[in-house]
Amino acid sequence: MTTSFLLAEGSNAALITFMIYTLAVFGIAALSNRLLKSKSFMSEYFLGSRGLGVWAFALTFAATSSSGGSFTGFPAKIYTHGWVLALWIGSYMVVPICTMGLIGKRLNQVARSSGAITIPDVLRDRFNSARFGLLTVVLIVFFMSFNLVAQFKAGALILKVLLNDVEIFKSFSLSVAEWTSGVGFFGSDSQYLVCLLFFGVAVIAYTTYGGFHAVVWTDVMQGVVMVIGVLILLPLAISAVGGLDRATQEMSKMTPPRRGYATVAAENPQSEPMRLDKDQWLILETSELDRVFRVAKFFAVPAGASEVHAIELLEITTPSEVERILAGETPVTFFDGLSVTEFQGRDEKYGTVTLAPSSATGGTTFKRGDVLHIENDSPVNERTFQVASDQTMPADGSEVTIAVIQKPSGEYLHSNAHGGLTATNVSMRSVSYAYGADTPGVYVTGPGPSATDSVGFLSLSVAISFFFMWAISGSGQPSNMVRLMAFKDTMTLRRAIFTVALYYTCIYVPLVFIFCCARVLVPGMEAEPDRIMPEIAVYLTNGIGAAWLGGLLIAAPFAAVMSTVDSFLLMISSAMVRDIYQRNVNPDASEGTIKKLSYLCTLIVGSAAMIVAVNPPDFLQDIIVYVGSGLAACFLAPVVFLLYWPRSNVQGSTIGMLAGFSAHFSMYVTGAFVNDSFFRPYRLMDFDPIIIGLFVSFTVTYLATLATPAPPQELVRKYFYRKVEADSQA
Amino acid sequence: MASTSPPSSDEFELDPVFLNSRREAIVIFGLWFLCFIWAVPVSYMMGYGHEIVPGNVPTIFGMPTWIFWGIVCPWLVADVITTWLCFRYIKNDDLGVAPEERAEAGGAGSESATGDAAAKESV
Repeated sequence: MTTSFLLAEGSNAALITFMIYTLAVFGIAALSNRLLKSKSFMSEYFLGSRGLGVWAFALTFAATSSSGGSFTGFPAKIYTHGWVLALWIGSYMVVPICTMGLIGKRLNQVARSSGAITIPDVLRDRFNSARFGLLTVVLIVFFMSFNLVAQFKAGALILKVLLNDVEIFKSFSLSVAEWTSGVGFFGSDSQYLVCLLFFGVAVIAYTTYGGFHAVVWTDVMQGVVMVIGVLILLPLAISAVGGLDRATQEMSKMTPPRRGYATVAAENPQSEPMRLDKDQWLILETSELDRVFRVAKFFAVPAGASEVHAIELLEITTPSEVERILAGETPVTFFDGLSVTEFQGRDEKYGTVTLAPSSATGGTTFKRGDVLHIENDSPVNERTFQVASDQTMPADGSEVTIAVIQKPSGEYLHSNAHGGLTATNVSMRSVSYAYGADTPGVYVTGPGPSATDSVGFLSLSVAISFFFMWAISGSGQPSNMVRLMAFKDTMTLRRAIFTVALYYTCIYVPLVFIFCCARVLVPGMEAEPDRIMPEIAVYLTNGIGAAWLGGLLIAAPFAAVMSTVDSFLLMISSAMVRDIYQRNVNPDASEGTIKKLSYLCTLIVGSAAMIVAVNPPDFLQDIIVYVGSGLAACFLAPVVFLLYWPRSNVQGSTIGMLAGFSAHFSMYVTGAFVNDSFFRPYRLMDFDPIIIGLFVSFTVTYLATLATPAPPQELVRKYFYRKVEADSQA
Repeated sequence: MASTSPPSSDEFELDPVFLNSRREAIVIFGLWFLCFIWAVPVSYMMGYGHEIVPGNVPTIFGMPTWIFWGIVCPWLVADVITTWLCFRYIKNDDLGVAPEERAEAGGAGSESATGDAAAKESV
């Protein structure tokens, strides 16, 4: 297939961009490898020889912190919950100065003075305790391994979203599905498998070959792509929507969409099966304003079928939005030949049905799980329910009220189905949007609409937790700390903090603006909100006839996740080679041995994570949150104390680290019992576990340090004092 | 506390890099706290629980008023203070020389050379 042919296909722009991108990354790895030959291998491979300049340091820091979530999850959240996301991300106003400035200069100095290359190195040397160093290695490997698998999955999923419409990708995935059919390990999603393989091999190869400098330079390239993408999208989005004010006013009229089940009829039954994907639209014509729906879950209409039941759709509920769709002002094309004949909102899910006395014979027992078909026209239209708790029809012929769960209408092959029933009343409870359903204004005020939380998306306590989360717990991430050990001098640090502050201002504030506009421009994306970034990029750039630009823009989320994975990968292999092998097993290992081991370890760790990610655990975002907050609960307090408090000692830091880990972990374990899921942690006084973990960690470290002996004087002297020079004494 | 006293006050003094870093960290934490007590309460008071007229939301530069006063305004102020901290307040300090740097530079003498260079950059 020639390049010109690929370019002719607008949807292939992503593929072209991705290929150019991958080639550039490999080029960078080759250049970095040349550096390895001229410097101390260990320091160069894992720390870039402590020589990062302003741009490299600033952008590697920014790009590592902005994981894939910034360009997929965050836009999806803005789209789904509205303007309140500005408060959710608000503490990024101080993230650069906090995460780099609070401990940066001092950590760099302490690392230089002991010759530390990794974070466990710093902790071990500061207290001269191999045991403490090993404890930190164990914690880092424990948390980072989880995160590495989760990030591999995130990378593969993002790539799958980006390449979704690319023909060559689709056909290759089909071939892979044939090759792997019958092998249970590979699962059923061949597209995911292909993306995982491509993503994994690329990241493992360039990280293994190039080491820290390859990671940093690719971060720089990725950071530049991200900011250019956002700054191009901003004016395009505001201009397309007719000004930010118009976007806000339109959003103020919006109500959350309604999910539900529909019956769809075909005008002319087709001899071939028809396929309806998530981006298809359907209409229900009425005497007033027509109702419009987006397919929420893929379905296929069988050949010859005239009617299909229980199709999951998303109904647009805002009248002004429906009018714009019907007037052709939005990129919506209705599917020809199919129309909705009936729609039942999933919001009417739980409730009661009162059966008419004549409905069933007295003494009939409706068992839990039985199916009820209500067939009278008025006051209740034909509906299907499932009995939620046992109930018996009274023998005296009086009415009976049964607790039920509403089911999509359609045929139910069930041994205990009760047909021909009539009801006098049906009362259902709304659960579609736990907060904000049918309420205009929820997208422009707090706490924002939520499908699952009855207090809304961002309650006050959650807003407070997030202000801590980004700025304070960000300072406690070992992947950030290791970068703080790599800058050249304090001038570099000062300029880099300024650069990252400017960079985040140019990324996060515009992202909120862009995706508020996207809510108005591209309706119905709640069916698959993670696709909003590529969707809006293609929509806006096609509008100005620059599909190539769309390709560049949708590479941004891929760039973000790549730059996060590579640094995690290097952290784990450095922990194993440096902190376990060189410092505990074989301190006299030759540079050649260390070199081979480092390559091998990065390769093995990366490959293992990729293999586990073939069948990854669910709860992707939850794992990332658990790991990020857990690391902060373990590391922030001991690191702050060991840097700034001469009295800090190994006993206090060990106890504080374990206390932070336990407090944070116990919130998640309690959640497993109270909320039936480990990843729905218990919130003490409604605060996130990170707040509890940090509070316990700081308090216990402080108290335990005071309760245990003071540290040896030579350590205090080494890290907190310096010799008075002769001239100053004079 | 014994450990905070210099082992021998005639020969040793508290490291100025440590003192500068600690002072700067306290000021930076103060900036975080200022932003926290500005952004969260202002956003909550102006943006939560208010009835609005659909299609007639008060805005500044196109964004809801509470977003401007609660987020964008403190964000710009935080950027200005960050800039001031970076270019005026945070000191340039000599961070020292790592053992492997010393070895690469050819042994003794490099430490003082680097130290002198950094000292010249001091604000």
